[in-house]
Amino acid sequence: MLSIINLSVAIEEKTILNGVNLEIGAGEVHAIMGPNGSGKSTLSHVLAGREGYQVSGGTVSLDGRDLLSMETEARAHAGVFLGMQYPVELPGVNNMTFMRESLNAVRRARGEPELDAPAFLRRVREQAKLVGLDPALLKRSVNEGFSGGEKKRNEILQMAMLEPKLAILDETDSGLDIDALRVIAGGVNQLRTADRSIIVITHYQRLLDYIEPDYVHVLLDGRIARSGDKQLALQLEERGYGWVEEDAA
Amino acid sequence: MITATQQSDWFLHHLSQSAGDLPGRGVDWLDSLRSDARASIAQLPVLNRQQEAWRYTSIEPLLQQRFITAAADIGAFKGLDISRWRIAGLDADRLVFVNGRLLPWLSTVAGLPQGVTMGSLRTALSTDPGQLASWFDQHSGRSGNLFTALNSALINDGALIRIGKEVVLEKPLELIYLNPGREHSLLVQPRNLVILEQGSEATLVERFVGSEASTGFNNHLTEIQLSMGASLDHYRLQDESDSSFHLSSIFLSQDELSRYRGTHLSFGGSWARTDFQAVLKQPGAVCEINGLYTVGDQQLNDFHLRIHHAAPGCISRERFKGILHGKGRAVFDGHIIVDQDAQGSDAQLSNDNLMLTRSAEVDTKPQLEIYADDVKCSHGTTVGEIDPAQIYYLRSRGIDKERALSMLSLGFAAAIGNSIKSDPLREAAERRLTQKLDNQADIAGVEHNHA
Repeated sequence: MLSIINLSVAIEEKTILNGVNLEIGAGEVHAIMGPNGSGKSTLSHVLAGREGYQVSGGTVSLDGRDLLSMETEARAHAGVFLGMQYPVELPGVNNMTFMRESLNAVRRARGEPELDAPAFLRRVREQAKLVGLDPALLKRSVNEGFSGGEKKRNEILQMAMLEPKLAILDETDSGLDIDALRVIAGGVNQLRTADRSIIVITHYQRLLDYIEPDYVHVLLDGRIARSGDKQLALQLEERGYGWVEEDAA
Repeated sequence: MITATQQSDWFLHHLSQSAGDLPGRGVDWLDSLRSDARASIAQLPVLNRQQEAWRYTSIEPLLQQRFITAAADIGAFKGLDISRWRIAGLDADRLVFVNGRLLPWLSTVAGLPQGVTMGSLRTALSTDPGQLASWFDQHSGRSGNLFTALNSALINDGALIRIGKEVVLEKPLELIYLNPGREHSLLVQPRNLVILEQGSEATLVERFVGSEASTGFNNHLTEIQLSMGASLDHYRLQDESDSSFHLSSIFLSQDELSRYRGTHLSFGGSWARTDFQAVLKQPGAVCEINGLYTVGDQQLNDFHLRIHHAAPGCISRERFKGILHGKGRAVFDGHIIVDQDAQGSDAQLSNDNLMLTRSAEVDTKPQLEIYADDVKCSHGTTVGEIDPAQIYYLRSRGIDKERALSMLSLGFAAAIGNSIKSDPLREAAERRLTQKLDNQADIAGVEHNHA
């Protein structure tokens, strides 16, 4: 489904990713772990299409289509979703209007009919319940004045609405208390399907207690230094990243 | 460069164009008002950029045009269909002015309650000028410039609105000024007088609309008098063609505990200016003005506010926002004056500008002139761009760049739009702003490649 081959990326001439290889099959959940500055967020933004990154080598394809040549919005239409680590606030942009615009833009691009207001409303209310988002937040400006947990719930709500093929969750657990973590992980688990792949980026093993990965990868100095199953996450929790570093050297 | 002589010729030329058909000729006070204004045109200082009020706004584009005074005969508009300029769902008592003249057959004021006058100024000046003598020109005459003098010298038609003591109007009053564009480059000079007597309440909607082809000059003048405890919600939407010229001079006078809440939207015009002067004459008056302007290529928009706290314990709030694209030019000048004995004054002024392109330009100038010592006054202005992270966020959700920019711009404007309490009016204004922004191909070309 997603195939990353020898991907190298720089920001302002500084190499961040240095030959990343990753194959993700349909329905799989992959966790990417690694210390600060190892390139985890860069990888997620390069996949989602943020500007300002120079791809110096390698390819990324989604179902055989070249992802890197696509515009940011076209990637969303093709089924890429990034749950952001720091969702921005959009003052004056109504959350509900935003989600409806977003959903209908994606549906149009996929040749599906747009949802009318009542149909949209029903669906967004249902899904908000799933991720435990206070419906009052739907009427507010996007993320404006939301707590950290509310922002993350709002991200997962968008994921639920857009039904992506590939969801990347960038440190969705950061800033969450244990109850919020449980609710959000529960929401994500409900979105696990046989044809949806998920990349979970995290520092900590804790999230993986709730969202059980099929594979765990360690990103170190811009490359995948080690891959394994969920046992690898437990080992990392115990021994730290230094152990992988030494091992890789 | 236009010389002082050329400028004076321009005013005299337009002065001489007046038809012989002005109402109320032979009425002493009106005759002398007109002739005083006429005389002052020869005496008033020429307008140039050495003057603070015109420093950033050149009137040359305007003075390069020659305008034609609208024909006196309104019969030609008998069959005029104005439905495309109506706002669906806005239930209002309405006067419709075409090229500055009231068209009675398009106006609907039949249901007005007792104590309320709403009609043609021209008719009032022709039939019963005496009632207006004491009100007229109380305020504008003293602080006039060449444009207000030109308007006064040729007073013809406009709206006369008078809300009697303690009358509370539920239904808004709407004034539509239409330039249908059958003839181009018309000079129209509507003149309004709005009087709210003690304890009365009303909502006034003014909309300036016209065909896209119109290149006329609307030299508009409105005087508003709020008596003790009166309350006015005032909405103005200037949505004339992008090639027209527009000057609104508004003079507001507020008595004790009166309340003015204005939302002024300015979207059209190649050269558009609003001169808003408020005098808070008696204690406890409250004046709140929200404003929004948008300009693109070949457009200049200028808001000049002069809020004068002349009595103790008055409150003023001015909040203006601008969205600039293309090579749009905007000027904002917010001037707050607090007299020495206006203790306890509370004034806040802000002006925020969103620059969608690097080639747009804004001059923003807040001024506080405070002679009292016990006051609470603040001002702030900002000029900024859309955060690329916000565009990225929207695009990553499948929304294309053009739409993302337009959504974020509308979001920037939302705080002003939300001050419009009437749903149909607010929605119509939002639709118009969206169209204005979506029509601008150039905003799609903004560079947003910062990481």
